[in-house]
Amino acid sequence: MKLAVVGKGGSGKTTTAAVIARTLARRGMSVVALDCDTNPNLGISLGVGDEETERLIAMRQALDEGQEEHTPTWDQLVDRFGSDAPDGVRLAVVTRIENPEPG
Amino acid sequence: MRVAFVGKGGSGKSAIAGTFARALARRGEPVLTIDSDPMPGLAFSLGLEVVEDAVLDDAVVERQEGEEGPRFRLRPGLTVAEAIEQYAAVGPDGVRFLQFGKLRGHVASLFRSQLAFREITHGLPPNGRWNVVGDLPGGTRQPFAGWGDYAHTFIIVVEPSAKSLLAARRLAKLASGDRGPKVVGVANKVSDAGDTDLVRERSGLEVIASIPWDEALAEAERNAKAPIDYAPESPAVRAVELLVARLIEEG
Repeated sequence: MKLAVVGKGGSGKTTTAAVIARTLARRGMSVVALDCDTNPNLGISLGVGDEETERLIAMRQALDEGQEEHTPTWDQLVDRFGSDAPDGVRLAVVTRIENPEPG
Repeated sequence: MRVAFVGKGGSGKSAIAGTFARALARRGEPVLTIDSDPMPGLAFSLGLEVVEDAVLDDAVVERQEGEEGPRFRLRPGLTVAEAIEQYAAVGPDGVRFLQFGKLRGHVASLFRSQLAFREITHGLPPNGRWNVVGDLPGGTRQPFAGWGDYAHTFIIVVEPSAKSLLAARRLAKLASGDRGPKVVGVANKVSDAGDTDLVRERSGLEVIASIPWDEALAEAERNAKAPIDYAPESPAVRAVELLVARLIEEG
């Protein structure tokens, strides 16, 4: 299955997405959690911690600044810009932040 | 004064900004409020009837072929001051309210209104008559793209939660950069002094106000009422009034 969680700021999207991801993983499914938020903090709710969450953000920014090379395939993207969260969930920060449009 | 409220989604920016603007206006100050969220909420917190349309479309003209400059600019003859008089809604206590437009369908439908809005906020004369209170969307994108650059002070609203603190640490970097606006923190939904300390320590910000968790405020939000009308005596509204007094004193 492929789910996207959306809603107003502060409504609980990140918390909901994280609990769904961990719950599916505990049922034995292989789960990739994609953080597409311009303020990515899914890592905190998944339980990878502050530092690792900030590391993933920094890496995503390095890509925009040309200090990292983009990956040619989806698997490599999840590998390079991702991190292992509890219950075997794989987290990747894939925010599109180069778009200067507001909102 | 010119302030812009930023922070994580749901941290309480709109409720505080609306209350702040009303409290400032009650001191006899001319106040212009600015909501640049495509999912706007400031109108509720100000106590305005919800403003339905992106009214700014006809405030700008498109660049003609062969002309220089930005793609849209204010209609010839329309100054920034006049644009505010014409397009900013009038709210309680005389607060004026400028909204960037509501997202309907695709974001491109807002394009023209957004650029008109930006022409006005960027064209505000440096020592004009208006006190400006801005409310930006949650997160870091708009603040770092210059949408709050009218502000001399960015006020980061921070809840005592890991996610809110993470956003605050990133927003604190607004202080770097050439213009270097002042950046301060306001701890919101605080239960005890430990929460304020947590916000101070983990955001690294100067915390200039501490706003208590207040059920009256949550109730105002449930009922789409302005906190300052719904619960004028509540601890949270009182704390915002103190914040206004503090910023006036500091000039």
